[in-house]
Amino acid sequence: MNKNYIILTILMLVLAVGTIFLNREEEPKQIEPSKLLQEIIQPTRYVTTDQVAKMIIKGDPGLMLVDVRSNSEFEEFSLPNSVNIPLDSLLTGDNLSYFGIPGTQVVFISDDAIKADQCWVLTKRLGLNSTYVMLGGLNKWMETIIDPQQPSDDEPYTVHETYSFRKGAQMYFTGAEAEVGGSKVKVEVRRKEKTTVAAGGC
Amino acid sequence: MGPLIPNGIIGGGWDFVIAILIGVAFGFILEASGFSSSRNLAGVFYGYNFVVLRVFFTALIVAMVGIIYFDFLGWLDLSKIFILPTFLTPMIVGGVIMGFGFIIGGYCPGTSFTGIAIGKLDAVFFTVGLYLGIFAFSLAYPLFEGFFTSGALGNVTLTDVTGIPAHWFALAFTVVALAAFWGTMFIEKRVRKNMKQYKF
Repeated sequence: MNKNYIILTILMLVLAVGTIFLNREEEPKQIEPSKLLQEIIQPTRYVTTDQVAKMIIKGDPGLMLVDVRSNSEFEEFSLPNSVNIPLDSLLTGDNLSYFGIPGTQVVFISDDAIKADQCWVLTKRLGLNSTYVMLGGLNKWMETIIDPQQPSDDEPYTVHETYSFRKGAQMYFTGAEAEVGGSKVKVEVRRKEKTTVAAGGC
Repeated sequence: MGPLIPNGIIGGGWDFVIAILIGVAFGFILEASGFSSSRNLAGVFYGYNFVVLRVFFTALIVAMVGIIYFDFLGWLDLSKIFILPTFLTPMIVGGVIMGFGFIIGGYCPGTSFTGIAIGKLDAVFFTVGLYLGIFAFSLAYPLFEGFFTSGALGNVTLTDVTGIPAHWFALAFTVVALAAFWGTMFIEKRVRKNMKQYKF
């Protein structure tokens, strides 16, 4: 029996058995790059802080806020009912199961819109629909909802309308009272001045 | 990295150049394996020479296992390679016809050209018949068209059809091929013992 044949047979068998142990990482299904690019250049993924605030106040059951900042930042401050999925753990575990549920709208939130945008691209690339990005992130939220600036009188009506909504939202989210001006109201007890003059009768 | 042309690493015009190079290598290997002799080739059907089976099975399992490793190493994207479309019944019938032609003529299409290259008369006749057959089929194509395109399954692989991962097929084919190598060696020995008219 030819020695070479035996060696080659064993070699071939080992190689064939070896294919079973190749650790194949299942690549997630992705959408076409051209389609992704088309989606990226469109601004339709952005929702404004006003829209988000309105949905929270109305208690929209389809709204899901996903905070993509780190855990510690999330602990410090977060929007009500938001879920914390840091950007770097988006694809780990079953975090992806939050997305693409029919009837829900996922809104990504970060300090600005950058991290949220990155998350959006990742989910979009995986073919998950109805994900959005809060335009301007929490910085914008602070600016517009928590501390809205009163527009000047010559601004258009819609601006004033937005302002009054924001003012209302501010009350909702911060518990602030209407037009308190932020300072403590000093309670002054005014005593009734004593009247020294005798009240004259008729 | 691969496949080279679909990934744009080399231009599409190179496919002819590559085809020539692979063709030359293929012809060389066929001739070197003794495939230019119709006795060697037909021997597989009579049990005295299994070189056809060994060479083709070797090529098959090496390519198959190799492709799986190439895919794993990222050298070849298996989702981009061309997969011949499957037409189930026509392929079975075609295989049977091809098998009969192989026994009767002593060549398969590729090997008949290596036979011509070294000046075999039978190979020349076989090739003339081959072209006549192609010509006749082309003329009669409207008759066969319905059958020719029946049972179309598209560009499917065994993995697509059965759901079993490709490496299990690779392992199964390898085991079968290796068993066939050793099994046929014993058959060959027995048959050759009883043959007097043909020297090996």
